[in-house]
Amino acid sequence: MASFIDFRNPPGSDRRADTAVRATAEPRWIRRILIGIVVFFFFLFLLLPLVVVFQGALVKGVGVLKEAFTDQDILHSIWMTLIVALITVPANTAFGIAAAWAVTRYHFSGRQVLLALIDLPLWVSPVIGGLIYVLLYGRRGYFGPWLQAHDIKIIFALPGMVMATTFVTFPFVARSLIPLMQAQGVEEEEAALTLGASGFQILRRITLPKIKWGLFYGVILCNARAMGEFGAVSVVSAKISGKTNTMPLEIERLYNDYLFPQAFAVASALAILALITLGLKTLAEWKNKRQFEAGQRSLLEPTIEATR
Amino acid sequence: MSIEIKSLHKSFGAFPAVNDVTLHIETGEMVAFLGPSGSGKTTLLRIIAGLEFADRGEVYFHGENVTPKSANERKAGFVFQSYALFNHMTIFENIAFGLRVAPRGKRLSQEKIRERVNSLLETIQLPGLANRFPSQLSGGQRQRVAFARALAVEPRVLLLDEPFGALDAKVRRELRRWLAEFHEKTHLTSLFVTHDQEEAFEVADRIVIIDKGAIQQIGTPDEIRSGSGNTFVKEFLALHI
Repeated sequence: MASFIDFRNPPGSDRRADTAVRATAEPRWIRRILIGIVVFFFFLFLLLPLVVVFQGALVKGVGVLKEAFTDQDILHSIWMTLIVALITVPANTAFGIAAAWAVTRYHFSGRQVLLALIDLPLWVSPVIGGLIYVLLYGRRGYFGPWLQAHDIKIIFALPGMVMATTFVTFPFVARSLIPLMQAQGVEEEEAALTLGASGFQILRRITLPKIKWGLFYGVILCNARAMGEFGAVSVVSAKISGKTNTMPLEIERLYNDYLFPQAFAVASALAILALITLGLKTLAEWKNKRQFEAGQRSLLEPTIEATR
Repeated sequence: MSIEIKSLHKSFGAFPAVNDVTLHIETGEMVAFLGPSGSGKTTLLRIIAGLEFADRGEVYFHGENVTPKSANERKAGFVFQSYALFNHMTIFENIAFGLRVAPRGKRLSQEKIRERVNSLLETIQLPGLANRFPSQLSGGQRQRVAFARALAVEPRVLLLDEPFGALDAKVRRELRRWLAEFHEKTHLTSLFVTHDQEEAFEVADRIVIIDKGAIQQIGTPDEIRSGSGNTFVKEFLALHI
C-alpha cells in the first residue's frame, strides 16, 4: 500500500482510503490466496505452539501439574522471575519517563546519540547484554577484584540478573512515550507553568495524565520482556535451580532433564502471563491511540504561526 | 503594574529573534505587538512571561527585576494562541488549576475556589459549562475559558499570544469587543501579540510595531496612522489597509 500513490485523491482527502482499496484491489482469487497464506502461517507458527504448550502440561494429568507447582525449585524460579521484574520494571519506568522528557522537551547536544543509545538493546543480541556485565563485574572483569575484596556478588547472583534484564528492557517505556510526548507538545505544560505550578505538580497533574496509557503500554511491554528474558539472564545467572533460575531458565533445565510435563507446566504459566499481558497491551494500545489523536488534534487545530 | 524591558536580545542559533528591544509599559495600559510572521513578537512576549530566556537584557515588573525568575514565579497571566487547555480536565478544573497548585499557605479553601471559578464562568458568560471538557466546546468558548483560567490567579499582567488568531471573523470581533470592555473595567496591564492591524488599532492604547526582532515604531493608534513611521512601517501599513 505504501508505494501506491493516488493522484486523483491526494493524501488528506477523505475519500482516499475507500477508493484506494478498491482501485488497488487484486482479483478475488489472489486476495483469497494471500489471506489463506497468512491464516496458515498464523496457525502453524503462533496458535499451534501455544495449544501444544498447554496440551503438554496437561498430558500426564492434573496430578503432575499440581506436583510441578508445589516443587520448591519451580516455585523459587517463579519467585525469582517476579523479583527481577519487580525491580527492573519500576527502574526502567522511571528511566523511560526521564529519557522521554529530556528528549522531547530539551534540545541538548548529544540528544541524537541518546536517542540512538536508547534503542541499542533492541539491536544487539541479549547474550551480549549479559556478557558486558560479566566483563564489567565478573571475577576477571574491570570491577571484579574490587567487588571481591568487598565481598559483593553481582555476577551469578540476583544483582547481575536484574542488571542484564534492565539492559534488555531499557527501550520499551522510553520508546512508547517519545512519539506520544512529541505529538502532544509542551503548551499545556507551559500553561501550567504560567499558572504557578512547580515542576513536580506539572508532571503529576498534567504530563502523567496525558501520557498514562502510553506509559501503561510501555510498562506492560517492559514487564513481558523482563519476565520472558532468557539470553541475557542465562549468561549472568549461574543457572542453579532453586537459587538463580528464573522461569525461562527453569523451563530449559526441566526440559534438559527430560521432565517434559513439568517443563510444559512452567511454560504454560509463563504463556498465561504473556496472554494477560497481551490483553492489557491491546487495551492500552486502543486507549493510547485515542490519547495520541487527541494530542495531535489540539496541536493541529489552530493555525500556528512560525516565529523562529 | 508597569513593565520595563531593557535592551533585550535573543537569538535562535544564528537567527536573531529579538534584537535590542527597550520598552516601557505603564500600569493599566493595553499594548499591541504588531508585526508580520516571524518578526519576533511572540518570542518577546514569551520572554516577558518567562517561558523563554533572553541572552542579554532585563525585564522588570513594577520596578522588580524578574529576569532570573522562571515563569511560575512571575505569574504573568498567559493566554496561548491554541488555548492550551488541559484536555483531561473539566472546564471547572481548568479554571481552578492555578488556585489548586498554589503553595499550601496561600491556597484558598475549596469553597473559595468554587466561588471564584463560578464567578469567572459568569464573567466569560459560560456559566453552564463547568462540567464539560474542552473538546466539547467551540473555539470561541475555549478561548474564553483560557482567559478565565489565566485570570483566576489574579495575575498582575495579562499576556496574550495571537488570542483570536484561530477564530473565524465574527467570533473574533465579538471577543475583541469583549476584551476591550474587560480591560476598560479592570485596567489590568495587558500585552497582546497580533498580525492583524484592525485588531491592534481597535483594541490597543498603544501599538508597538516590530520587524526582524526590533521595534520599528511605538505610538498610539492615531500617531501611527499619521504616517510618521519609517519605510517599513509605511509599507507594512499600506499593505494591510
